Amino acid sequence: MAFDRERARNFCIIAHIDHGKSTLADRLLEVTGTLTGKDMQEQVLDSMDLERERGITIKSHPVRMDYRDPAGQQWVLNLIDTPGHVDFHYEVSRSLAACEGALLVVDAVQGVQAQTINNLYLAVEHDLTIIPVINKIDLAAARVDYVTEQFIDLIGCDPSEIVKVSAKSGQGIEELLKAIVDRVPPPKGDPGAPAQALIFDSMFDSYVGAVAYVRMFNGTIAKGQKIRVFSNERQFDVGDIGWFRLARISQKGLTAGEVGYIATGAKDVRHVRVGDTVTLAETPCSAPWPGYAEAKPMVFSGLYPTENDQYNELLDALQKLQLNDASLTWEKETSAALGFGFRCGFLGLLHLEIVQERLEREYGLNLIATLPNVEYEVLLRDGTVQLCENPALLPDPKIIAEIREPIVRASVITPKEFVGAVIQISLERRGVQTKMEYLDVERVNLVFDLPLNELVVDYYDKLKSVTRGYASLDYEYVRHRADDLVRLDLKINGDDVDALTCIVHKDNAYSWGLKLCQKLKELIPRQMFAVAIQAAVGSRVLARTTVQPFRKNVTAKCYGGDITRKRKLLEKQKEGKKRMKQVGSVEIPQEAFLAVLKVER
Amino acid sequence: MRTFGLYVHVPFCGSICSYCHFARTAEHDAARRDVYVAGVLREFELRRQACPALGSARRPLATAYLGGGTPSQLEPDLLARLLAGTVGRCERTADLELTAEANPETFTPGLAQAWLAAGINRVSLGVQSLDAGVLRRLGRACDPTTARRALALACASFTRVSADWILGPGVRLDALLAELDEAVALGVGHVSLYILEVHAGTQLAARVADGSVTLPSDEHVRGAYLAAARRLADRGLVQYEVANFARPGAESRHNRGYWRRQPWLGLGPGAHGAWGRWRRANHDDLSAWLADLDAGRLPEGAVEELRPASRRLERVVLALRTREGVPLSWLPSGALDLDRGEQEGLWRREAGCLRLTGDGFLQLDTIEEALARRL
Repeated sequence: MAFDRERARNFCIIAHIDHGKSTLADRLLEVTGTLTGKDMQEQVLDSMDLERERGITIKSHPVRMDYRDPAGQQWVLNLIDTPGHVDFHYEVSRSLAACEGALLVVDAVQGVQAQTINNLYLAVEHDLTIIPVINKIDLAAARVDYVTEQFIDLIGCDPSEIVKVSAKSGQGIEELLKAIVDRVPPPKGDPGAPAQALIFDSMFDSYVGAVAYVRMFNGTIAKGQKIRVFSNERQFDVGDIGWFRLARISQKGLTAGEVGYIATGAKDVRHVRVGDTVTLAETPCSAPWPGYAEAKPMVFSGLYPTENDQYNELLDALQKLQLNDASLTWEKETSAALGFGFRCGFLGLLHLEIVQERLEREYGLNLIATLPNVEYEVLLRDGTVQLCENPALLPDPKIIAEIREPIVRASVITPKEFVGAVIQISLERRGVQTKMEYLDVERVNLVFDLPLNELVVDYYDKLKSVTRGYASLDYEYVRHRADDLVRLDLKINGDDVDALTCIVHKDNAYSWGLKLCQKLKELIPRQMFAVAIQAAVGSRVLARTTVQPFRKNVTAKCYGGDITRKRKLLEKQKEGKKRMKQVGSVEIPQEAFLAVLKVER
Repeated sequence: MRTFGLYVHVPFCGSICSYCHFARTAEHDAARRDVYVAGVLREFELRRQACPALGSARRPLATAYLGGGTPSQLEPDLLARLLAGTVGRCERTADLELTAEANPETFTPGLAQAWLAAGINRVSLGVQSLDAGVLRRLGRACDPTTARRALALACASFTRVSADWILGPGVRLDALLAELDEAVALGVGHVSLYILEVHAGTQLAARVADGSVTLPSDEHVRGAYLAAARRLADRGLVQYEVANFARPGAESRHNRGYWRRQPWLGLGPGAHGAWGRWRRANHDDLSAWLADLDAGRLPEGAVEELRPASRRLERVVLALRTREGVPLSWLPSGALDLDRGEQEGLWRREAGCLRLTGDGFLQLDTIEEALARRL
């Protein structure tokens, strides 16, 4: 059956975390008959264990549903599930660019949340038709009238436009499908024009190479044709093309308005980056789809295997992850404290956490991650500029003229009662407020210029805590700016622990050093001998603490069966110790390397 | 000559002590004890069938130990039957050491006579303390007068007497030293001094958790342990293991066998055995142990073959507990800062061995962990 653009609808679901996005997707798949009962499991589109467990979506998961409405009319519905976190802001914007409509889902109990508003702005920016949806109406605590009022305030819709559903029970799903068909406009595009397809995600398949997830805006691409990727001008043969169910379904080609995939045979996904445009090599379109930007790593962290013999496995795992994750970068690095490892670059903190967790779970590695940091520009006295992504590698202060750090414009949307607290934590982190505007009677948008380093250390956590989770944060890089920065070294029994080195503002060095020493004292277990912990800038020791040795730690009785119990305990402890790192004669638990994160100001 | 040891676990007690986590029960009667003894004999028979070396004259029995639980809960005739059916059926060395544990309140002149007649030549008395308050905290059924009477009786009846003391809540240093002096003066030639351990699931653990029992500080325990060791040494009882002190020649040969990794056979519920690379653990539960025996099976809950790494760990950990120490060549390189430990008084290097000091013994678990990490 030929693709009929008038009978197609491309849409996404946007929602605050836990408002039921994935469950709603499950239900749509079920009601349209895309999935039969035996395929059904919860969060069916979230294929990674990590996604199911955390209830978040990391990769986009498009799916094409064939829907027969009550009047007997057939429709093609493309649902593009989107990742939902500030780190993946760019990926989300590309997914939205591929749609004409968005379901804005709000939990009937919790009401409109910060993420709802951010997502809404993003959708409006992309000129999407918004369908307001109240979910979880079956719950006893549901406040449907209240949320209806919120929606009216927020988007100025008519109460009758709001679709009320329970994704859990299936109530209202038919009405929702009708709203999608009636209200979301059909995709525009000219099948006769030169081919123009937006890549909104990509993945690596070990059989067919890099697979681009695309929205066809114009023209047609067919199997066997030669395609060109706009930004890098690489050409590939279309090995396979088609659209998505739960798996990929091969077709002869894709035409304007369709959502599907193109298997390129490329060796890794960096050749088909999100946001790029695919066209035909023979008859290319004249311009790419607007909005392409190469996602740049903003946050860096050293990843080290706790056991040195896992180094090659870590290298192998990073290479495999990179096949599928164009925004992950890494280079080899050596630490005196941690041995051989990699300095990795990430989009943000969640990206870092996800990569670390996947390395540990999917590849069975035990890792130590150092304090996340940013990229500094170091102007030397001889006028040259060096980039520094690893505080331990900062050049000798004597030859440094100035250190410049990345500044971001951070935009915080918060209910008005938290404005004071938000300003306070931002100023404490060297933020400069540049704007404050009321979005409505309740909500305020605050804008700060903030050192990115302060942001990655704990700003997001702190923001969530002082606003009880209501604030949302978005940020973009603006420039590097010089400040009075110093390198703070940590010494354990006199040995420099390079992995704990950090760059801080001179005014904060003393209090930071002291708190860090105290935190490490809590985290480093008592050992056979006393452990001296010192924080120093250059040769000047700013703070010191000592972990006293045990006075008594002995199993007094050891006969017969005690021997086996004792041995098993030691073998178990030895396993546990794998997450400890030996620095000189001291065993340091992995958490200590992240202690810097947990220091309260 | 290659020899072996025998351990028989007697799981019966008159009452349960608050700190005890061993296989034991206070619910038993004459019939139950009779069934138990028959079970031990059956187990011995099954083990002989499974291990021909047990009957061999080239590997005689050198030591036997009746522990518990409370072996003195067994009637003399049952005990005699138990020994006849186990020890009595082994090839034995001429100087067989045969120890039985007793609680002071069950140690009567009649029992002493019966034990002598049965061939028991060493008694280990669970005194724990001569202070009424301390005994109460431990949940012991004994009072100081009874304990003193039992100590005197044991020393009068047996040439080799050992007594257990516990370093736990309420122990005062001067009182402890005076009690040890008193015991040595009565003729006790061997003392086991245990630092009390709190095991999960015991009554004591619950009382510590709810605050009704306060454990002494580590510093207090350390002071008492070191002072007691010094006092016992002054009285001629030399420390030869973390918790054990004896006049030269009066050491427990049976227990030394454990630390020197001699093979031993374990009988009874909860008993372990070690033979070559094999470690065997019987069911803790008396009924489960009996059920297997009734079915003609070895009553084992776990059998394990030690891997070489486990074997190395075991021998280092056990040697470390002893006065002789660990040959330096057994130590994994870089695991211990040998110079620093010597400076800080945790050990000495003597005769090619690493020998722990009193402070070293007190840090034994820490040292073991450091070694285990590299083994």
